[in-house]
Amino acid sequence: MSWLFGGKSTNQEEQKATQTDDAQLRQKLGFDPSQVSNVSDVIAAPGALDVSRLHPLAGLERGVEYLDLEEEQLSTLEGGNSLIPSRGWTDDLCYGTGAVYLVGLGLGGSYGFLEGLRNIPANSPGKLQLNTVLNHITRRGPFLGNNAGVLTLTYNLINSSIDYFRGKHDPAGSVAAGALTGALFKSSKGLKPMGYASGMMAGAAAAWCGFKSLVL
Amino acid sequence: MSADHSRDPCPVVILSDFGGAFAMGVIGGCVWHGIKGFRNSPMGERHVGALSAIKARAPVVGGNFGVWGGLFSTFDCAVKAVRKREDPWNAIIAGLFTGGSLAIRGGWRHTRNSAIMCGCLLGVMEGVGLMFQRYAAWQAKPMAPPLPEPQQPPALQA
Repeated sequence: MSWLFGGKSTNQEEQKATQTDDAQLRQKLGFDPSQVSNVSDVIAAPGALDVSRLHPLAGLERGVEYLDLEEEQLSTLEGGNSLIPSRGWTDDLCYGTGAVYLVGLGLGGSYGFLEGLRNIPANSPGKLQLNTVLNHITRRGPFLGNNAGVLTLTYNLINSSIDYFRGKHDPAGSVAAGALTGALFKSSKGLKPMGYASGMMAGAAAAWCGFKSLVL
Repeated sequence: MSADHSRDPCPVVILSDFGGAFAMGVIGGCVWHGIKGFRNSPMGERHVGALSAIKARAPVVGGNFGVWGGLFSTFDCAVKAVRKREDPWNAIIAGLFTGGSLAIRGGWRHTRNSAIMCGCLLGVMEGVGLMFQRYAAWQAKPMAPPLPEPQQPPALQA
């Protein structure tokens, strides 16, 4: 009833006098029985619907629980902390693939840029020079970027699956994921290329694990 | 517009968007070109045809998607940083820039048309998103609990 008797009014003083009389009863009931005329008065009385008193075991006083967003929480996988905080396998996938794809695109693009500079036809106008360089960049950059991106995508998918089944993350799982990725990448070329690609990807995964353990 | 808590803050979200769009493109390209290669191969070579089509084309689709998504995210962040507000215009302006910069080698007319197309597309997407948002808000609107009737209960009157 504080919304009604919020101000300093004579009504409030009068109310206080009557309230002191049956303070004992109010303590026991949670509301002032002398004020009660109907049900909504009881409900609206301050303290009557005190959630900690209403049901102590239900934990109602913790507030609204749907604000604890599930997807906000960081991943708690053992040994799974990486360079940036991750909320799960989708974050690992997106950040890993994006970073490696961009690095591949940049490296391939720089190589194509240098190659294009070397292959500029002699005595050509400026527009043709620019076009030559751009053609070389767009030939080399996306090729390297796409392959590196696909490799990382597969690696991240396999790695997250291995982590999920084992319940933890360690370098052995990473290296195994790298070996599987390389084998899958060259799986249509025969056993020998598969072995080479597998070894190279396992080495790359091991190098990444070593780098992470150095930095972290 | 309320903050979207499932997305990271701006500079790093570009990496995530690059990777997410690339992954989406690769997986979608696998499905698309797998079916296409399967259907376009002669009988008896259909699985080989599907596999080789996937190998040849899915990474390219992924790359195209990834470059588009990453550029869009970059421009979106840049527009946000300049305008210092979040509304559907961010996406539309970023779409204009993305479409324009991807078509910039085709000449001025191609760049302009592509930018306008891309901006319109993003505008439609934002509009549909807003419609869904409003519909969801209308569906989940807060309901007042039924209040008890403010009558004199007969037990207390007696």
